[in-house]
Amino acid sequence: MTSHPIVELRGVEKRYGNLAAVSNLNLALSAGEFFSLLGPSGCGKTTALRIIAGFQEPTSGQVLIDGNDMADMPANRRPTNMVFQSYAIFPHLDVGKNVGFGLSNSGLSKAERDMRVAEALEMVELGDLEDRKSDALSGGQRQRVALARALVMRPKVLLLDEPLSALDKNLRETMQLELRRLQQSVGITFVMVTHDQYEAMTISDRIGVMFEGRLKQVDAPATLYAQPASREIAAFIGGMNFLAADVLSSGEKGLGVNIRGFGKFHIARNPKVSKHGERIEVGIRPEQIGISTAEEKSDMGIEAVVRDIAFYGESIHYHVIATAADAPLSVAVPNHFHSRDFARGDKVSLDIKSTSIIDLGTME
Amino acid sequence: MKVALKRIAPSLSTYAAVYLVFLYLPVLLLPLFSFNDGTIVAFPLSGFTFKWYLALSGEEALLRALLNSLFVGIASATLATSLGLLAARAFARYRFPLRHASEGLVMLPLVVPGIIVASSMLVLFLFIGLKPSLAAIILGHAFLTVPFAVSIMKSAFDEFDPSIEEAALDLGESVAGTFRRVTLPVVAPGILSSMLVCFTVSFDEFVLAFFLSGNEPTLPVYIWSQIRFPAKLPNTLALGSCLLAFSILLLVLAEIFRRRSTKRGTGK
Repeated sequence: MTSHPIVELRGVEKRYGNLAAVSNLNLALSAGEFFSLLGPSGCGKTTALRIIAGFQEPTSGQVLIDGNDMADMPANRRPTNMVFQSYAIFPHLDVGKNVGFGLSNSGLSKAERDMRVAEALEMVELGDLEDRKSDALSGGQRQRVALARALVMRPKVLLLDEPLSALDKNLRETMQLELRRLQQSVGITFVMVTHDQYEAMTISDRIGVMFEGRLKQVDAPATLYAQPASREIAAFIGGMNFLAADVLSSGEKGLGVNIRGFGKFHIARNPKVSKHGERIEVGIRPEQIGISTAEEKSDMGIEAVVRDIAFYGESIHYHVIATAADAPLSVAVPNHFHSRDFARGDKVSLDIKSTSIIDLGTME
Repeated sequence: MKVALKRIAPSLSTYAAVYLVFLYLPVLLLPLFSFNDGTIVAFPLSGFTFKWYLALSGEEALLRALLNSLFVGIASATLATSLGLLAARAFARYRFPLRHASEGLVMLPLVVPGIIVASSMLVLFLFIGLKPSLAAIILGHAFLTVPFAVSIMKSAFDEFDPSIEEAALDLGESVAGTFRRVTLPVVAPGILSSMLVCFTVSFDEFVLAFFLSGNEPTLPVYIWSQIRFPAKLPNTLALGSCLLAFSILLLVLAEIFRRRSTKRGTGK
């Protein structure tokens, strides 16, 4: 890894009149990293990507790529390449000419260019389609052509704008793994924009979560999942049960809390959260809650009634009401075939461990 | 809905048939009499002949007028299509003040009466010292055909995915290079279609050409001058039939290219 970041955004801002599409964006990406910008549509993630690519000029702030200020560098001279959401395959050129498009101004000989094109097509497993017309390609093939066309330029940074959103579910999942493998084999920094949290978590080294033009949290997927910096991030990534808790004691590492109707717990302090008042909000992931029949209830068990059941195939989600707290909770259990299922109206016992309770800071 | 359609259909189709006969019967008489072996244009027909068509090749003034028309058509179509291409790209890609107003302004020649345009152009051209000539007709026809060029090119650009141009820039191509290597080839069928339509309009245009032609007439102006001589009438009918067939051919080709251009612009 180089000492300086490969991409650095310093206070980048993009305003349209009074509307800020991106505000005060600070970000440093290290070389060889797979980074995802994740957020709902309209959160400014695509604008941020286009600012790095040079298609949009920031209203203020600085973009540095490999240590160089990009202020006066137009898109066609930046060491970045982009995979567009629509793939933007040139309709009048065949696959080989699409991939070789950017090399024609490179000063390479024809033989060298042909070799690079063949190599790039091999990389995306399209070696035998070089002469294929672009209108005879499937969605997945178009995506690969777009990838090869960008990678053949050997950019310092590859930018991907929702690269998989046009593909159907099965193909998307295959391509996620393949994209990750490709990134690791070429060692180029990838910056991907996506609204799909699972996609971001599957592929990325780090994820930046954006809401309303602001970068809210940048972390590795596991950290993001275990220590979300706010309620909105916790709600956006994965499922989450939210509960109010009174703080009984506050220590260096942990907090003693009382979750009404559930009892007292000693939970870990979330380092991503800044404020802790007398009342905080805590979160529990649905798959972290144990569920058993009411007869098997342990001393710590929490009484609840099953209200709804959602079958997802690999898992089953029970929507239950905790009796004492009168609070709705979602509980996810893996589908072990033959295991005992619960029916609507069943009395059950919930098992919540202190370690699975996430501190989300002072209630807003 | 289906029932209502069934009930109305017979009367509607009769109406449509009558309408089409009324529109095209006179046009169909043109080729009919051009094969008639007699100088008087009236029924009954007196026999089948190709002689009027054969006689056309001997008319030197006619061939000259034909060449004039081809030249004016190609030049004005090229001019109008170039302007239309640039205007359409601007309308499709950029937001600027008075965009809608200027789109309307560009279409104005379609609704201004030809005689008004013709006489005011004559006055304007004489004022700036441009004598009635082929050059004057070329400018006049370019003005007249720009609306066709703009609307055809706009439909080519409507389907054009803007990220294709961004992709070319992203791959290191210059702005001019992107226009040459991506924009032009992708809208090429639209350009061809626009050229054909503009050419056809110019080729058939009479009023402007009549006002602006000096001693070099275009084909329609020449035909008009011949119509005064009854003996030349069958000749003119033969010539007219050729032009009719030629125009239809060009417009069919133009439509084929226009459809191809809308199909191809998407890049998805």
